[in-house]
Amino acid sequence: MHELGIANEILGVALSEADRHAATKVTSIRLRVGVLRAVEPENLSFLFGHLARGTPAEGALLEIVEEPVRVECAACGTTEARSFTFECPRCKGPDISVTGGDSLSILSLDVDA
Amino acid sequence: MGQDGNVRIEVERSILQSADAAAAAIRELLSERRIFALNLISSPGSGKTTLIEALLARFDGKGGVAVVEGDIETEIDAERIRKHGVQVRQINTRTSCHIQPSRLLSVLREMDLSETRLLLVENVGNLVCPAEVPLGEDARVVLLSVTEGDEKPLKYPLVFKTSGLLVITKTDLLPYVTFDVERVHRAARAANPAVEIFEVSATTGAGMSALLDRIEALRAAKY
Repeated sequence: MHELGIANEILGVALSEADRHAATKVTSIRLRVGVLRAVEPENLSFLFGHLARGTPAEGALLEIVEEPVRVECAACGTTEARSFTFECPRCKGPDISVTGGDSLSILSLDVDA
Repeated sequence: MGQDGNVRIEVERSILQSADAAAAAIRELLSERRIFALNLISSPGSGKTTLIEALLARFDGKGGVAVVEGDIETEIDAERIRKHGVQVRQINTRTSCHIQPSRLLSVLREMDLSETRLLLVENVGNLVCPAEVPLGEDARVVLLSVTEGDEKPLKYPLVFKTSGLLVITKTDLLPYVTFDVERVHRAARAANPAVEIFEVSATTGAGMSALLDRIEALRAAKY
């Protein structure tokens, strides 16, 4: 249920940006979400839809751009993984560090102005 | 630009921006008062409150420890800590599964921190949400008890990636459970190569003094 707090923050940003641009309706919201955030997209959309009722963001679609786990493998130079790991997904080497994949950002909003 | 009347607004901003701002305000409040703060995170029942009690015993007579307890409901933890004669506040988060920095900030503003040197914040028992939200702490401490299973760093990577200290607790129970300590070390180091790992048992006392020494040294290094 940690998606509830996230949905609430998204709504807050969307409404303030819409207001700043004198938009009457938010139609979609693009997000970048890192795999490490363990966000369940369906859960997030459901909760957002519920919170947005009666606001200019009611019915807005959440479009989630998934950010992979960023890694650095000392052996083969692999830089991406599909999930958190402590061995390289390609060469299975153990000398790997996780450098990113925890983004949680709003990229853009589509609004009716 | 989309269809007629439809406009794209580029935002590119962190969803956690308001939380980040509150965390920065906490950091400022603490550094002005030269208070070292730990944010303790773990599953329910891993030993956060027990570690706090051990820290209280260690810092007894060395002045000013303050504690903030976070739980969905009840004052049980605050009452347990209050018996040690230190300043403690309970935050009941109700619908929220972690302590919000804005809430912690207002609680800290109400507390008398003039004598405080060390602030211990016990987050809500949960490995997911507390990891997402910075509380302006100097160090984040994640606890993992051996009864929970050695796969936890793989399942909840963010908390292990963002914690400077990992405390493996209840090591006296290792003979009775399947828990590969080395596997946890490897996963935790992959998540955060700089992580400092401690293995402790509050029951036998094993490893506790090394952990308490380290926390005391971290505080001394900062202030």
